[in-house]
Amino acid sequence: MISNIIKTEWLKLKHYKAFWVLLSVTAISYPGINGIAYYAFMDSIDAKSQSSQLVKMLLGNPFAFPQSLHTTAYLSSFFTFIPAIVVIMLITNEYLFKTHRQNIIDGWKKNNFIWGKFICVLLVTLIVTLFYLAVAFIIGSLATKELEGVNIFEKAHYIGLFSLQVFCQLSIAFLLGLLIRKAFIAYGIYIFYSFILENILSGFFRLKSKKWGIDYGHYLPFEISDRLIPLPPSIGKFNAADNQLAIAAINIHVVYTLALTAFVWLLSFYIFKKRDL
Amino acid sequence: MPVLEINAISKSYGKIKALDAVSFSIPQGSVFGLLGPNGSGKTTMLSIILDVLQADEGGYKWFGQTPSYQHRKKIGSLLETPNLYHYLTAVQNLRITQSISGRGNEADIHAVLEKVNLHERKNSRFSTYSLGMKQRLAIAAALLGNPAVLVLDEPTNGLDPVGIAEIRNLIKGLSEHGHTVIMASHLLDEVEKVCDHVAILKRGKLIASGAVESVLSAEDCIVVNASDQVLLEGCINGYPGLIRMNRTAEGIECYFEKGTSSAEKINLFCHEKGLVLSQLVPKKKRLEEKFFELTAE
Repeated sequence: MISNIIKTEWLKLKHYKAFWVLLSVTAISYPGINGIAYYAFMDSIDAKSQSSQLVKMLLGNPFAFPQSLHTTAYLSSFFTFIPAIVVIMLITNEYLFKTHRQNIIDGWKKNNFIWGKFICVLLVTLIVTLFYLAVAFIIGSLATKELEGVNIFEKAHYIGLFSLQVFCQLSIAFLLGLLIRKAFIAYGIYIFYSFILENILSGFFRLKSKKWGIDYGHYLPFEISDRLIPLPPSIGKFNAADNQLAIAAINIHVVYTLALTAFVWLLSFYIFKKRDL
Repeated sequence: MPVLEINAISKSYGKIKALDAVSFSIPQGSVFGLLGPNGSGKTTMLSIILDVLQADEGGYKWFGQTPSYQHRKKIGSLLETPNLYHYLTAVQNLRITQSISGRGNEADIHAVLEKVNLHERKNSRFSTYSLGMKQRLAIAAALLGNPAVLVLDEPTNGLDPVGIAEIRNLIKGLSEHGHTVIMASHLLDEVEKVCDHVAILKRGKLIASGAVESVLSAEDCIVVNASDQVLLEGCINGYPGLIRMNRTAEGIECYFEKGTSSAEKINLFCHEKGLVLSQLVPKKKRLEEKFFELTAE
């Protein structure tokens, strides 16, 4: 059955130009943001001024191996909103064309339909992770003066953390599309919440954390997975204590992220099963 | 064994009762028309039997069995509007139908496109099609793999007169080959031409169902006329077994219990009363007439 679902979803995606165009935009955005940051950094440390030399001494080179996999994961994670458009489009288009009904009428179980979308989100995550990996290795190679003796895979766990973060956030985007059914409204809410509201809530909870003894902001939907990739150590050393705490909390946030992702998909299966189409 | 048995299905949208304990069954090999004015519950009923909507109460059986996705795979369906991917061509869309339902193969895809006269535009995107072409592609999807049962909701929507005639002939052809066709339609003339069984819904309630002949002919009707209609009315009023009569432009329609009327006896009765009839015609009621009669407020 799963092979039939994969085949059918591929038939839907194969000739879908908007899907491939948006993935191409993602493909451009990742080297774009990382490249700009890399060249800006290189320019700043290449200058002969005292401050440039101070930056170089303090930061080292966060783009060189083995830090490259961490730094590019951190920078790339700001651009998950582009593949989120793809995911929202994939589900809201089914509502727009009413093909979600036709798929069921033609003989799929309701679960099959959601499994199809689960596979699509997984595929987008895989593609995005490949873009990130390509950028990390290209920039890492450019920034590392001497590869000998450097374990370029020392930070390889960030590959898994990045893909988990992307999958979790794209899953939330999918749930929004499934619930709201209209692409622009779903995407508007996604952007407003992830970029504005959650930051406001996060700030609020941070302020209250001393009084309450706990920072509930760490458990907000996007913050849960954002905390999988803390600031790279060379940059985070400006607030070393917080950075150490953030790095120490990665493991527990892996558990939270997995739990949230599982909840999002279970809810998606439940909603689609119970809702009239 | 009926292809589909519907048992006391009810469905509400908030306070509106879209279907109210509707029951009927659809015999194998029949062309079954589901009729009713707008909002009578036709599409809701078809959506329930295709598992797109869930009934609040009651149930249904396909082929005498509890319905499952395996049954839907065997049924070619067109519900409400053509639900296809706008960015894909006819062939690409039908490949998706084929992949999900398992009905037909690549050769069948081209064969059904020939059947609905879309083969020349098979590689055009769905979004570039006219309404009629979209409808024909949706019918092609329903026909793919030659399913034994077809569920067609307003299949002639958006089609020109030639297209309507083609679909009529297609449905007749399917019926001749033993297929069961369940269709909802507003076009009573079309339904009368192709359907052998009907169910009529009004505000979610079933008001008639069965073979077209039995639904249409709950009463016998004979139209009589004479040069003096007033005298004729007085005369025929005394005819034994007459239920009611109705004066029309054609003459006087006389209604009797089903199977009790006799043109010969009426003629003799009037002759004995000294009246010469200028017209004596048994009238077969048309579906449209019956529909308006049953669905009138």
